[in-house]
Amino acid sequence: MAAGKKIIPALVNAAIFILMEVAALSLLHNNGRVQNFFISKWMHSFMAKTWGAAENVRYYFSLSGMNEDLASENFALARQVDYYKSLTGAEAPSGLTEVGDYRYLPASIVKSSRNKQHNYLIINKGSEDGVTPRSGLVSSCGVVGIVDAVSKHYSYAISFMNTEFSVSARLGREGSVGPLVWDGKATDGAVLGQIPLQQKFAPGDTVYTSGYSSIFPSDIPIGVVGDSKVVNGATYEIKVRLLQDFGALRFITVVSNKGREEISSLENREDD
Amino acid sequence: MKQNFYLQYVLLVVAQILICNFFHFTPYVTLSILPVLALCVPVKVSTPAGLMIAFATGLAVDFLAEGVVGINTFALVSVALVRRGLVRRIFGEELIVRGENFSVRRAGPLKVTFAIFLVQTLFMVLYIWADGASARPFSFNLWRVVASIAAGVLIGFPIADMLTPEDRR
Repeated sequence: MAAGKKIIPALVNAAIFILMEVAALSLLHNNGRVQNFFISKWMHSFMAKTWGAAENVRYYFSLSGMNEDLASENFALARQVDYYKSLTGAEAPSGLTEVGDYRYLPASIVKSSRNKQHNYLIINKGSEDGVTPRSGLVSSCGVVGIVDAVSKHYSYAISFMNTEFSVSARLGREGSVGPLVWDGKATDGAVLGQIPLQQKFAPGDTVYTSGYSSIFPSDIPIGVVGDSKVVNGATYEIKVRLLQDFGALRFITVVSNKGREEISSLENREDD
Repeated sequence: MKQNFYLQYVLLVVAQILICNFFHFTPYVTLSILPVLALCVPVKVSTPAGLMIAFATGLAVDFLAEGVVGINTFALVSVALVRRGLVRRIFGEELIVRGENFSVRRAGPLKVTFAIFLVQTLFMVLYIWADGASARPFSFNLWRVVASIAAGVLIGFPIADMLTPEDRR
């Protein structure tokens, strides 16, 4: 009788526990959908406004460093423009928002996380500015993330510093292509995998985007090669030091492939 | 002077949200006071009620702090399940029967630290496992668990002392 009295509360506790854990796990499992449904509607706006104010204070105190970076970037770009002008004799087009198959939109980060294994970014451009889910985020120093959900004025993006993020990268301008993923530790560390053993490379070589996706254009420099090791006797795994330090990131560019829908519909047709 | 436990609890949940959003030290340390909060819920609160408090707390932090939605809830509900059993084993059956809460002065810092260590360990193992542990080397996850537990115990002890004063019933 006493044992029965103990068993019933234990069963009730176990049932409630299982119910709550199943609910939590389903939230975890459907994380992307939850973000799309709940967070993108008003939580992103709330977070962007609330936490963004505090981020602005931090940015204010790092303005001098950013100015130096922007000035040196500006100088490098001006030199490139002069070089191409001297080659072609043509003036640069005034509207640079569309180049080739891609549309570019400048944006700034209002909130970002850097200390998790699933980091994210919130940027100050949304659907009203033409941002769509699956747009890429890049900076002058590499790949930053992919837009996951958009609200009217803000977008929620999965950062490169996320265990679920992988970008197709090429070793050098014409080398082998493999997936580049964040190393999970440093704000400027990544790992390039699946590089064939016959591929020649040296520490200091540059890693670029391959263009083998409908999200990022090709030949954006991402990082430089560091140490490497052979995995399973079949491929190289190469440590890459990212050119973009995510700890100091503020201004980015949203990249949208104008032909992405067409590519997706082709892929879907192939899948069917 | 009797302290309002639940007001302190809510304020500490807000503190946890701020920690998640602004205090970034290193990827090796996940700082969480949630396991200590769950441990310090009064003993007279039943396990089902404790589970519900933990579930609501986890959801609030998941939605208002950065990170994966559901991860804090998943880890904290487990701590709430073992809370009364842990208190019974570490601080004695008498405490449960009387409906009294443990305190640092009565139980001693060693026992309280041990209890915090256990709940932090349970929480961190589940949290880090859910936070993509399979995508990272075992050594990295191990160091992350160890460093996070150490940080959690250090920050958790004064919080437990604050939440469980001698005169609270």
